[in-house]
Amino acid sequence: MEVTLTINDRKVVAPEGSTILEAARAAGIRIPTLCHHPDLSNVGACRLCVVTVEKARSLQTACTTPVFEGMVVHTESEDARATRRFVLEMLLSDHPNDCMKCEVNGNCELQDLAYEYDVPFPETGGKRHEYDSDPDANPFVAVDRNKCVLCGRCIRACAEIQVRNVWSFASRGFQSKLVAGADQPMLSARCESCGLCIAYCPVGALYDRLSLKKARANKVRKVRTTCPYCGVGCNMDLNVSDGRIVRVTSTPEAPVNGMALCVKGRFGYDFVHHADRLKKPQVRRYLIEGGEKGRGEAWDEMVEVGWDAALDISARRLREIRDAHGPDSIGVLTSAKCLNEENYLMNKFARQVIGTNNIDHCARL
Amino acid sequence: MASTTDRVDINGKIERARERWRKKTQDAFYVTIGMGTCGLAAGAAGTLKAIEAELGARGLRAKVSSVGCVGMCSYEPMVELQMPGRPRMNYGKVTADRVAEILAAYLDGSPVRESVIIGKVDETVTRRNGGTLYAHSFLNTDTLEKIPFHRKQLRIVLSNCGLIDPESIDDYLAMDGYRALEKVIGGMSPEQVIEEVKKSGLRGRGGGGFNAGLKWSLARKTERWPKYVVCNADEGDPGAFMDRSVLEGDPHSLIEGMTIAGYAIGASCGYVYCRAEYPLAIRRLNIALEDARKTGLLGENILGSDFSFDIEIKEGAGAFVCGEETALMNSIMGERGQPWPRPPYPAVAGLWGQPSNVNNVKTYAYTPRIIRMGADWFKGLGTESSPGTAVFALSGMVNRTGLIEVPMGITLRDIIYDVGGGIPNGRKFKAVQTGGPLGGCLPEKYLDVPVDFDSLNAAGAVMGSGGMIVADETTCMVEFSKYFMHFVTEESCGKCPPCRIGSTRMLEVLERITSGEGKPEDLDEIRYLAKGMQQGSLCGLGQLAPAPVLSALRHFEDEFWAHIHEARCPSASCEKLVRAPCVSACPAGVDVPAYLALVAQGRYAEGLAIHREANPFPSICGRVCPAFCERRCRRGQIDESIAIRQVKRFMADESFAVPWTPPRLASKKGVRIAVVGSGPCGLTAALRLAQNGYDVTVFERMSRPGGMMTYGIPAYRLPREILFAEIDHIRRAGVEIRCGLELGSDFTIKSLQADGYKAIILALGAHRSRSLGIPGEDKKGVYHGVQMLRDIAEGRIPELSGKRVVVVGAGDTAMDAARSALRLGAKEVSIVYRRSREQVPAQDEEFTATEQEGVRIHLLSNPVLVMGDASVTGVRLQRQELGDFDSSGRRRPVPVPGSEYDMPCDLLVPAIGQITWVEDESVGMSRKGSFQVGEAFNIDIPGVFAAGDAVTGPATVVQSVAHGNEVAITVDSWLKTGKLGGVYYRPGRHDIPQLFNIDDYAAASRPGIRMLTPEERIKRQDFSEVEEVLDEKTVQEECKRCLRCDMEWLERIGEPLP
Repeated sequence: MEVTLTINDRKVVAPEGSTILEAARAAGIRIPTLCHHPDLSNVGACRLCVVTVEKARSLQTACTTPVFEGMVVHTESEDARATRRFVLEMLLSDHPNDCMKCEVNGNCELQDLAYEYDVPFPETGGKRHEYDSDPDANPFVAVDRNKCVLCGRCIRACAEIQVRNVWSFASRGFQSKLVAGADQPMLSARCESCGLCIAYCPVGALYDRLSLKKARANKVRKVRTTCPYCGVGCNMDLNVSDGRIVRVTSTPEAPVNGMALCVKGRFGYDFVHHADRLKKPQVRRYLIEGGEKGRGEAWDEMVEVGWDAALDISARRLREIRDAHGPDSIGVLTSAKCLNEENYLMNKFARQVIGTNNIDHCARL
Repeated sequence: MASTTDRVDINGKIERARERWRKKTQDAFYVTIGMGTCGLAAGAAGTLKAIEAELGARGLRAKVSSVGCVGMCSYEPMVELQMPGRPRMNYGKVTADRVAEILAAYLDGSPVRESVIIGKVDETVTRRNGGTLYAHSFLNTDTLEKIPFHRKQLRIVLSNCGLIDPESIDDYLAMDGYRALEKVIGGMSPEQVIEEVKKSGLRGRGGGGFNAGLKWSLARKTERWPKYVVCNADEGDPGAFMDRSVLEGDPHSLIEGMTIAGYAIGASCGYVYCRAEYPLAIRRLNIALEDARKTGLLGENILGSDFSFDIEIKEGAGAFVCGEETALMNSIMGERGQPWPRPPYPAVAGLWGQPSNVNNVKTYAYTPRIIRMGADWFKGLGTESSPGTAVFALSGMVNRTGLIEVPMGITLRDIIYDVGGGIPNGRKFKAVQTGGPLGGCLPEKYLDVPVDFDSLNAAGAVMGSGGMIVADETTCMVEFSKYFMHFVTEESCGKCPPCRIGSTRMLEVLERITSGEGKPEDLDEIRYLAKGMQQGSLCGLGQLAPAPVLSALRHFEDEFWAHIHEARCPSASCEKLVRAPCVSACPAGVDVPAYLALVAQGRYAEGLAIHREANPFPSICGRVCPAFCERRCRRGQIDESIAIRQVKRFMADESFAVPWTPPRLASKKGVRIAVVGSGPCGLTAALRLAQNGYDVTVFERMSRPGGMMTYGIPAYRLPREILFAEIDHIRRAGVEIRCGLELGSDFTIKSLQADGYKAIILALGAHRSRSLGIPGEDKKGVYHGVQMLRDIAEGRIPELSGKRVVVVGAGDTAMDAARSALRLGAKEVSIVYRRSREQVPAQDEEFTATEQEGVRIHLLSNPVLVMGDASVTGVRLQRQELGDFDSSGRRRPVPVPGSEYDMPCDLLVPAIGQITWVEDESVGMSRKGSFQVGEAFNIDIPGVFAAGDAVTGPATVVQSVAHGNEVAITVDSWLKTGKLGGVYYRPGRHDIPQLFNIDDYAAASRPGIRMLTPEERIKRQDFSEVEEVLDEKTVQEECKRCLRCDMEWLERIGEPLP
């Protein structure tokens, strides 16, 4: 069933049950939002998407109000615009004026909205919160409550997508604040440091500790890749600056994982540039030069070889062992990092090539 | 919905319950005691124990029953006694220690303090309009009319409260309880029930006022099950406890109402959301639920039908926002108590996403009565659009606080003055706040607004759920609204920025204003924040939160400006602005604590100099000032206020021999200013301008200067040498006073301007006596009070000896005229006044002195005819009785037909008020009444200003002095800048150290003032001063009783003590 409504004097057709926001966006009409995210439930908290609906008693939030046949909506009415401005003024009046050194400068929804609605930073004004700017010891996820706009996106992301329910609001009124668990450190509150809350934070209240002071969003090149850690195949963007990965961000375009990543995918990239990282195969010298192991350190040391040589040596030794001690002297351990196809091939390799049933994988721990 | 299962015989149960009720209350000694939270707080538990002990000691068997609250908070604990064959008596303030006395009074007829007896209860008056059972059952030992608290009430939803034992289902059944449920289940379809409720016009009592039947029909229409009936018992307004009283006093009425609603919408489960701070309510409701289940009135197959319904209590944590229905449902579901945007509405998707109906406690409690008595009965009560009654928790500055139920359509005035008994301590009403922190306040002129949903809305307030707070003249409206905004900042849920941050910003602005740091743009800031909150907030809390501030701003903008412009709190209430209540109370802002401290040290000249900075007439005011300061003196709350006026008089008299030359504060400007009128306002203005370097000429039409000080105040109150000495001080500042010149005839505004006067201040006073407006007023022997006082002052002493004089009116002029007449040998002097003693406008001291001297006072009498041929031989008076309230907040005198009587007299002296009267053809000015002035005291002629009585109407010397100070500042600014307004008089302050230990004066008392005895005064037949001055030692000791509020204030604002 579809309904026809009018938005800004344009006839718009939308599926029954959709919200004004969905109908407007489908028709290419912009309505500003802050607490809304298409992946998350709607709560109508930030009041930025208010629009005038003819015959309604008051402004309506576009993100929560369902469309109906014959509805007439004005997204840019004077009241709606004034209210958005007012909301932004209020938010900025309790926000630090530190875009200059903010991690998310240039990549901040509050900043963009202030720009769009021409709201200056209020120089004078009342009290602002002065929370500890880095109170939580989580090694990956950092929280600065001074910048929090209490949109609740992190709360819903954690609860609805990651289903960890780490975040919530505590206290009331101006004292309302984002807390983990019962105002505990994140790690005591079931947090597994996946960083999804960072991905949904519209401002700089939740940020990536590892990337601090590395490079802001507009100074990086994003390289779409697939996470190497496991077989799920999550897509992610490596944020590269000066030839080095400074951050991993998730992307709504990722077909498998959407915005979600796990702690390894989002934060476990330090190996890439690690000094100890092996970039070429290595074998022990005695395997190349022939002879027995244990003849002295020089003989046992690792030396770089080409892939062909390395594989040849591996194949040779496996065959020698099988021939000398029987196929069951060999066991194969595969990895959850491998794809199903790869695991299937290893199965074939073990049973048919080696001739043993000794095959297992590391995910059965 | 007939059923084949065994029907519960409810009618039989009710009959048996009635029988037991009759036995309990009539066949034995029956004692009830109010055990609501209010009663318990006042000590009812102790009273109960004492009653049982006393009964035991007397060997009496009695049925003692704990009941709920009848609403008379100020009389708790309340006890009712009934012995077969004796009247049923109701007693208030029965604390444990008074039990024996009261039982003895009832049983043995021994005397008891009158104030304790509330009234005799007469069961014959138990039903009026079918609803009320209790209120009108109170009978005073004399007449019903003598219990004003109950007279205008109509109790429907509260009818059982205080009558029955809330923990006894039997008592409820005896009051026809559950008969409505039986009627519904036995023979009405759900649609019929909804139709009946709709037809009754019952509107939701939570404050929204939505038609309850209509709401039910929406929940019925949604075809999804299960459905829920939710009761909003999250009562959180400060000072509001209507729902609590129902829960504590009559819980079954809620259960019956909710069950009926469940039947109507098709629900089988109900929730009562009640705050955990109501433990007694929850306990009693639980008992009632259990009893109802046991009796087959709740649970599976109610009354044997196939309708099942049960109720669960959800205890809330006491968040105000949980009174909002969506937040309430979130809280029931275990979520954070935050609202969600509607749609979806509860009727479609409420509790757990299912169709739900949310109503207030009272809304449900009304429905059994509506079903039982019929929609038409309910519709017939109250007003067309708001049928039924309204329940209010009446609190604040009223004599009788309490819980009241009144028919819709009653006026606010009736509630406040009749039910509430008016404002305590003779103070003036200022505003009434309805709807609690989300409501609005209404000033005096709205008191006749009928109380119903739509009228209150139209007036800018709201019905709300039933809080009604009365503010008197000591309440600062800025602080009042700040209090509510503070409440909102504490109770905002924090979900949406307009409410979360907007309320805090608004509070900051209000805090700024109340600490004297407000800026002129702050009022626009308030309006801006208010609009943002109203338009932007998610729920009613944020949308309505600005309402109290906006309504205060609408009706009392002046008060906001006084805080901003003058850093002055007119109600002397804002902590940071009130250095001392006496300073705030003084219209001229005289630094009272400073001169008291100096006088205590014997430094009279310094004290006098400080006084003269704000008021150049210490000697005059030391005699005639009504001493607004003393009325607000904090010492007066402990024992008696400091005798400030006496100290002032002593201080001034001490230096009488040393003439004062006012200091020049700026160099000569060579600019001429004319002041017309040499009363206290004109002289003060002239003085201040002369001190600022202007050449000031004062024009006076009489032969001597002083205005009403000379021509209105008799010498026995203000000796002439004192008066003229202080006027001479003004001359010493360089002011020229020219007497015998009248504006309009001897000179004009045009001529003054032609003579080079750059500014003209009209301080003309109000000299023209109002006429009585009755036949015969032009007869010889009608002699206006103002004229009489003027003649005496001029030395044209009227011949009054042996004459009978009747003075009309009861203001200060009337008193002065009457007392003067006595001194001139009149045989008999009477005052007639159309209102009652409480409404006499003259100062109390004056009125008392007048009475003491032998003037006969005839109250509630009004002249209707002057009798006599050519000369007055008498006056015909008509008796008056007090009717409704008029626009001045006083009861209107209403003539009693046929009550005329004649009073012979030789002289009739009208003294019912004065007005300004001036004509000046040169500028086309003809003013018969007060001048309307702009912010700068400017009138519509450029360069001309008006001040004093000519603007305010007749006022006191000190009020005129204040006007003089103010007009001088604004004229000075206008001459300097060409701009009108924007400057404000801010009196200076002096911090004088305290050199003694105040504790030594804890027990000291105010000295008595020696006065001439009334006999001495009259015998002398002269105008000797009545009041004598205190001696030096006494005055110094008196000053040391001062609590030095100014020192405390210094600590409060963080400044060092001197």
